[in-house]
Amino acid sequence: MREILRFEDVSYSYEEGRAALARLTVSVGEGERVAVLGENGAGKSTFFLLANGVLVPQTGCVYFESNPIGNKTESLNTLRRGVGLVFQDPDVQIFGGTVEEEISFGPMNLNIPLSEVRVRVDEAVNSFALEEYRQRVPHSLSGGEKKRITLADALAMQPRVLLLDEPASSLDPANAKLLEDNLAMLAARGIALVVATHDVDFAWRWAQRVLIFRKGKLEADGAPENIFADAALLHRCGLEQPLLFRVAEILKLPAVPRTAEELEQEWNA
Amino acid sequence: MKPVSALSGILGGFVAWSLFAGALARPLPLAAGAAVGLWLSLGHTHESVSRTEQLARTSAFFDVHPALKVWGSCALLLLCLFAATPWPPLVLFAVMSALICERGRRWHDYRAALTVPALFLAAGVLALLWEYSSVPEGTAMIPFFGGWLVLRPAAQCTARLVMARALGALGCLYFIRFTTPVSELLHVLRAARIPETVIDLAVLMYRYIFLLLETHAAMRDAAASRLGFGSFRRDLRTTGILYGNLLAHSFRRAQASFDAMESRCAGGKLLFLTREKPLRAVHLAGFGVLLVGMTAALVCGG
Repeated sequence: MREILRFEDVSYSYEEGRAALARLTVSVGEGERVAVLGENGAGKSTFFLLANGVLVPQTGCVYFESNPIGNKTESLNTLRRGVGLVFQDPDVQIFGGTVEEEISFGPMNLNIPLSEVRVRVDEAVNSFALEEYRQRVPHSLSGGEKKRITLADALAMQPRVLLLDEPASSLDPANAKLLEDNLAMLAARGIALVVATHDVDFAWRWAQRVLIFRKGKLEADGAPENIFADAALLHRCGLEQPLLFRVAEILKLPAVPRTAEELEQEWNA
Repeated sequence: MKPVSALSGILGGFVAWSLFAGALARPLPLAAGAAVGLWLSLGHTHESVSRTEQLARTSAFFDVHPALKVWGSCALLLLCLFAATPWPPLVLFAVMSALICERGRRWHDYRAALTVPALFLAAGVLALLWEYSSVPEGTAMIPFFGGWLVLRPAAQCTARLVMARALGALGCLYFIRFTTPVSELLHVLRAARIPETVIDLAVLMYRYIFLLLETHAAMRDAAASRLGFGSFRRDLRTTGILYGNLLAHSFRRAQASFDAMESRCAGGKLLFLTREKPLRAVHLAGFGVLLVGMTAALVCGG
């Protein structure tokens, strides 16, 4: 898998003496689905802000497509073009007067022709079924609709990597399901997805790889089956095993199913 | 009724009475005072960005070319300032209000939005109307520290003219506000080669003033839900704490919004995709009629 984004020995602290992120070395490959877990204040959001170039590492370096990212605006914009960021609170991210304007905000900053901006906006609007909201004021829409707008915002930048900070928080089950469908659509386009979440069940059924942060450090990085099988690690990081692990244990299944459908098939078999 | 609304009503009513006392038959100034006082005491609303934008986007004049609306209204506003009598600006105010209200459909929003500037206007005009004099004179007088606050007919004339000009100008500005979304307004300003820094500052101030108001509303509701406004003393204490926290909270939110803009390569300019609107003859004619009518009224002694 080709590496797109790499952190090498990156540290960042907001205040003297307390590192929000300490000596982080990690990479994200093309088309990967990565879940980032950890308690509040573990460094997940700082990791995302550094990965998108909103924050600049105090030590170490971020590489995008093997090129080091400096602290010059052009260099940071290269990173921001390639790595999209969807914030946890849509109200913080949404800025435009209409859905169309909101989605166009990013592409308009890329100095590309207006015709290209229109194509990108149309594509993002269609991808997230936002056509009927196109001329609506985004702040008046529901939480689920706003979340789709923020995803469309990021997609219109045509990123190689998309970072989503707790995307399902404050979504009802129907919208959470819709979000997962949208993530599947983005993954099918070859976009690497990195999702910060507290939902271990989601991480288990969705991710190809799991990162666990603890007190600003990368505590674990590996395949979900290895990470979630390590009860001591989960306990140390304030996490629990996914529900299906417990179910598989009770039913004495040979392998832990990823979804309820898989569980049903295995049970019937 | 809230104390602030009651005070606004009293101030507005008093100014309206002062403007016409002695100039009109006896019950009319009182009636004007009562009407204005009642209107201002109904209270005001701090509209959210979304509400203001929604109103502009659903306006009957949304499809009019934004440059025509902005520059047409600005020309009318300028003409207001040259009026020698109150009538032309007052008529313009009435026309603009009628256009904004769209057969009463938006009366409530318009009235609520007009209350705050009307209150500022009333406070300003009050200083023009009442003068200090050592002897009792004029249409009305109030004893004041050994002298008199007097209401002279000349001051009333000046105040009426100032009030009318200000209302005319307000009508023009509110026409822009109620029919033109901010993004289109920015487009017009950019086309007029207004410096980018000025435009971006205006947008950020506009955005963050409302952010401040939204934060204030959320914090006030949170305080009210815990009986923070149960008594006068508690009311004062809660208000103090609320305003103390408001700035820090708003600053954090503004910083998060700025990060979100930066994450999408915002490089100092706030650019959005805007739709081109054709300049229609009927719209040009409409503004032409208003401009010609206003100019004619001014030339004919107005």
